[in-house]
Amino acid sequence: MCMVVSEGTFDKAMMPLIMGQTAAAMGTEVHVFYTFFGTKLVTKKANPKLPGMMRLFTGMFRNRMHKVGIPGYQEFVKQCQEMGVNFYACTTTMGLMGVKNEDLLPGVKILGAAAFLKLASESQTTLFIG
Amino acid sequence: MQKDATLDAKGLMCPMPIVQLAKKVKEMKSGQVLELLADDVGAKEDVPAWCSRTGNQLVGTETEGTLLKFYIRTK
Repeated sequence: MCMVVSEGTFDKAMMPLIMGQTAAAMGTEVHVFYTFFGTKLVTKKANPKLPGMMRLFTGMFRNRMHKVGIPGYQEFVKQCQEMGVNFYACTTTMGLMGVKNEDLLPGVKILGAAAFLKLASESQTTLFIG
Repeated sequence: MQKDATLDAKGLMCPMPIVQLAKKVKEMKSGQVLELLADDVGAKEDVPAWCSRTGNQLVGTETEGTLLKFYIRTK
């Protein structure tokens, strides 16, 4: 399964992790490609907030999710990686968004569009989250 | 139903019961029966879907109020 994430808000950040972790638990190979505003989500400083005025309620959302067993963002990414979910940052938008190689979370690979499209063409499911 | 292990996923919501289930089944021996307890209504559809996708066998389900019990024979 392949996913493209082009937004960097909390809701768009959590979706691919929930879907990705579930797919990995079902024995499916998972590739998540982060581009444009999504690129920030695979950096060490990533701490996504809800969009617009809703950002003020991010903490409340996080607490509610925590109560039903869903971990905080950074911990969730780590758990996904442990279950074999692959994360990629788009080369071009890294430059655009000011994200350097050393800013990326450990294990995140850098990929161009052609390489990702090859993965997507070999995959049965491709989702766009943005 | 006879079981070899129980996994209590009460209070957890999608996808956590499935994620915990996958981890637990990996630790068990082939042919053993796991009892999974969950109260997320989503589990009613998610557990059979997970079983059919992964080739583990769902051998029984029980409902007690809001509590769902699944019995899974590992492949």
